[in-house]
Amino acid sequence: MSLFSELRRRNVIRVALLYAVASWLLVWIVGHMVDGLGVSPWVSEYVLLLLAIGLPVALIFAWVYEITPEGLRKGIDVDQTQSIVYKTGQKLNAAVAVLAVLGIAAVIGEKLLPEFERPPPLVLEEIPLKPVFDFSAKAEVPREITSFNLPNGLKIIVWPDHDIPNVVMYNFVRAGGRNEYPGITGVAHFFEHMMFNGTNSRAQGAFDEELEAAGGANNAYTSKDVTVYQDWFPRSALETVFELESDRLSELAIDPDVVETERTTVYSERRLRVDNDNFGRLYEQMYASAYLAHPYQTPVIGWPSDIENWTQQDLEDFYTSYYAPNNQTMIFSGDVTPEAIYLLANQYLSPIPRQHAPPEITTVEPAQQGARRFVLEADAQTPLLHVVFHAVAENDPEALHLELLLAILAEGASSRLYQQLVEIERTALEVNAWRSGGFDPGVAYFAVTLPPGGDPVAVEAQLLDMLEDIAINGVSDEELEKARNLHLASFWRALQTIDGKASALGNYEVFTGDYEGLFAVPERLSAASAADLKSIAAKVFQRNNMTVGVLRAPDDGGEK
Amino acid sequence: MRSVFLAALSLFAGLSWAADVTLPDYERVVLGNGTVLLLSEKHEVPLIGLQAVIRGGSAADPADKAGLAELLATVMQKGAGDRDAAAFAAATAGVGGHLSVDAAVESINVSADFLSRDAELMVELVADVLRRPGLSEEEFSKEQSRAIGLIRAAKDADPNRLMAYYANSFLFGEHPFGSPTIGSETSLAAIEHDDLVRYYDDRFGGDRLIISVVGDFDIVAMKARLTAEFGGWEPAGAELPVIAVPERVPGGRVLLVDKPGATQTYFWIGNIGVSIDYPRRAELDLANRVFGGTFTSMLMTELRVNSGLTYTARSVINRRSVPGSVTIRSFTETGTTLDAIDLAVSVLGRLHDKGVSDDKVASARALILGQFPTRLETASALADMFAFLEQNGLDRSYIDAYGSALQAAAAESIAMTIDEVYPGLDDLVFVLIGDADAIRDDVAKYGAVTEMSITKPTFKPQ
Repeated sequence: MSLFSELRRRNVIRVALLYAVASWLLVWIVGHMVDGLGVSPWVSEYVLLLLAIGLPVALIFAWVYEITPEGLRKGIDVDQTQSIVYKTGQKLNAAVAVLAVLGIAAVIGEKLLPEFERPPPLVLEEIPLKPVFDFSAKAEVPREITSFNLPNGLKIIVWPDHDIPNVVMYNFVRAGGRNEYPGITGVAHFFEHMMFNGTNSRAQGAFDEELEAAGGANNAYTSKDVTVYQDWFPRSALETVFELESDRLSELAIDPDVVETERTTVYSERRLRVDNDNFGRLYEQMYASAYLAHPYQTPVIGWPSDIENWTQQDLEDFYTSYYAPNNQTMIFSGDVTPEAIYLLANQYLSPIPRQHAPPEITTVEPAQQGARRFVLEADAQTPLLHVVFHAVAENDPEALHLELLLAILAEGASSRLYQQLVEIERTALEVNAWRSGGFDPGVAYFAVTLPPGGDPVAVEAQLLDMLEDIAINGVSDEELEKARNLHLASFWRALQTIDGKASALGNYEVFTGDYEGLFAVPERLSAASAADLKSIAAKVFQRNNMTVGVLRAPDDGGEK
Repeated sequence: MRSVFLAALSLFAGLSWAADVTLPDYERVVLGNGTVLLLSEKHEVPLIGLQAVIRGGSAADPADKAGLAELLATVMQKGAGDRDAAAFAAATAGVGGHLSVDAAVESINVSADFLSRDAELMVELVADVLRRPGLSEEEFSKEQSRAIGLIRAAKDADPNRLMAYYANSFLFGEHPFGSPTIGSETSLAAIEHDDLVRYYDDRFGGDRLIISVVGDFDIVAMKARLTAEFGGWEPAGAELPVIAVPERVPGGRVLLVDKPGATQTYFWIGNIGVSIDYPRRAELDLANRVFGGTFTSMLMTELRVNSGLTYTARSVINRRSVPGSVTIRSFTETGTTLDAIDLAVSVLGRLHDKGVSDDKVASARALILGQFPTRLETASALADMFAFLEQNGLDRSYIDAYGSALQAAAAESIAMTIDEVYPGLDDLVFVLIGDADAIRDDVAKYGAVTEMSITKPTFKPQ
């Protein structure tokens, strides 16, 4: 008797078939749990492993044991004239058939039915935003805005606006300087470049070429918190954009030769923005000095030795971890419908697999233990004075209060610092202030350009006096009203364009977790009080919480 | 099936491109004193954009007082009507408005944008700035020394920002386009308060004014308001100087601006180009996109993508009432200065020899048409465009017929344009900012080298 006939007689082949069909069904089900229900991708891998281990066990079991009317017996103990392996075989055949039919039905059903989520409802009418002037009312959330999640974790928000036949796409990738450590500083920004440098099926430059040929333009930027990709295109290029984005988000080629050319390009960008610009040099040192522990200390462009040395493996790891759909949020604004975006997203972006969530950044910058200061001696006709204070994260309710406070201090020619330092004392040529802050607490940043021969020590004293004054005495009602109006006008200006809409919506969503918060800005402005502004001033403007940087010519260099 | 359906939709959408590149309707009113009003309503958001243009700008500065128009523009904002400088700034900011006055080469512009509820106040402030500026001696001297300080501060920052001033001075010489709009430390110091007041009297008046307003307002009421404010403004005191047509500079020559310690050389290569009424504008826009106007341009491909010599390289054409400049701009590490400049010149040579390919032109055409609607999306952008057309004596066909001109641009016509507009390799003016010690000898091969220090208080070498 041949081995094959014996395998058949003992139902080993049928068991193998049944095992295969059942395994396939199980893998299919688990796969959908991973994609749709957010079950960790590890589960898929474990199930596969267990199934692989189980296969020889099942086959050996089938070979050795038989089912008899008395139960399970070893085959060699069974009287072969009483064997019912034939009947068992028929049952096994039936089971294989049933499972196969179930599986085929499921796969067909999957193709026919929407996945877990229904397409968003049809919105026929676009309602213009209701102007809000009196601060008492909340701007309504425009009802044509729709958001949905793909099964792989990618969130998409659509804001239809049909004024012009164009569309804007913003893709927020949660990867920035914050996700770097010594050795790979600058790598998030480097990736911003590499994302245009070819995929497994497209040569370097093809992304730009195909998009431009379809009438689309693009750009990208990297911050300490995120990398953001932007496409601006006529509505006719919508599917091209999906195809191109899907390709580079799933099939990026990290060609070692291209990496080397791109390193020198990025180095050129560093020389442009930092090394040959006194402001850029001082700015880099400010963050490096103000943060001891938190990765906000590193420059987004990267330290020179890291630009020269990051490895192919660093790049590949970074791509896998951070360019996963579950780590991105995509915004479309313009001449589109949510339905069209949903269908294209399902076709082009859903197949990209979810990945493990990237490692969390858990480092909290410890409270500063006293003022820090440094002097950067450089070729300079005009000294620069920068002062920063640790402040709040983007989603902190006090962030808005700090913004209003900084507007009162330094926005425009009517601001306190401009009036005092530029107009009255004339100890400064320019003064600016802004708030930085992303997922983690950022800073309140003051930048003063002094006239040639100006004395940074004296200007620092003047600046600190004024900050102390506002922390003790607060702001006037008139100033508060002005700051609110400046903010409200900026709010409306930002929403004039489809680009501004996509940017504002995306930033609110990514940094606060809720894009609807954008439309609460007028209401929150109305609620902000003079006491709120005084309170954040007192909290932030403390000398122990301060870093002072001065850039000036060397003492012996004098004025040129 | 879905994608077939979407493709069909896209095709349909594509056909409507040309039709989309048109200006909205606007009303043009000429007041008795020559002031031109351009008005258009746009109600999507509660904002208004206003652009007021006074013909004549830095090109009308006296030769030894470069920067006069820009300094005047600054001082005009320092108090007007009944308000002093602080009160004026507070009035604008108090309602969240923007109002700025800037000098350009051929105009001085007042730009304002504000919430529609504040139209009454903001039009009053614009009228105050234009008709009743304070121009006090104290504000003048304060802004004069501040302007000088800001130029010195700019010399400590990214050299790109000052490149055009050095380059125009060197290329145009004594022609008015060579005069730096921001002035120089020396020319600003030569300006006196009387110069400023006289300049205002000579150059400002109802006959020089174009006011363009677009946004959320009622056209009848706005027209009445502007007529009341500006209808009685007297004409300017002096004729506008006529700007001569500049001649292309023959041969090669080099200006080297020494910035010791710079780790990068910033370079500009150019000559005189063509004017705003150049008849083959569509062909030129297509050619320049392909040559140096996009991420995929010939210059970017060679200098960045293939060689990694720079972060960016581009070509820019400045068309004015008479020919402005045609330029290539980039930068590279000091050690690769020659490699990068040689490569840029060879790409220009290739543009002349081989022209631009049909598929690149098709792509450039798609890109210009595809992006065009975004350029006219806001009230302010439309106000600027209406004013630009009026200032340059152009009608709406400048925009409305542009799409079909792009579609019609033929290869021969583009080739002819390239020949006509871009200088030949023997007639190039080079301006470099960098560490002179490291590159002085090498760059002599491009022509006679003139050298100056970045700390010299003027943008002219002599």
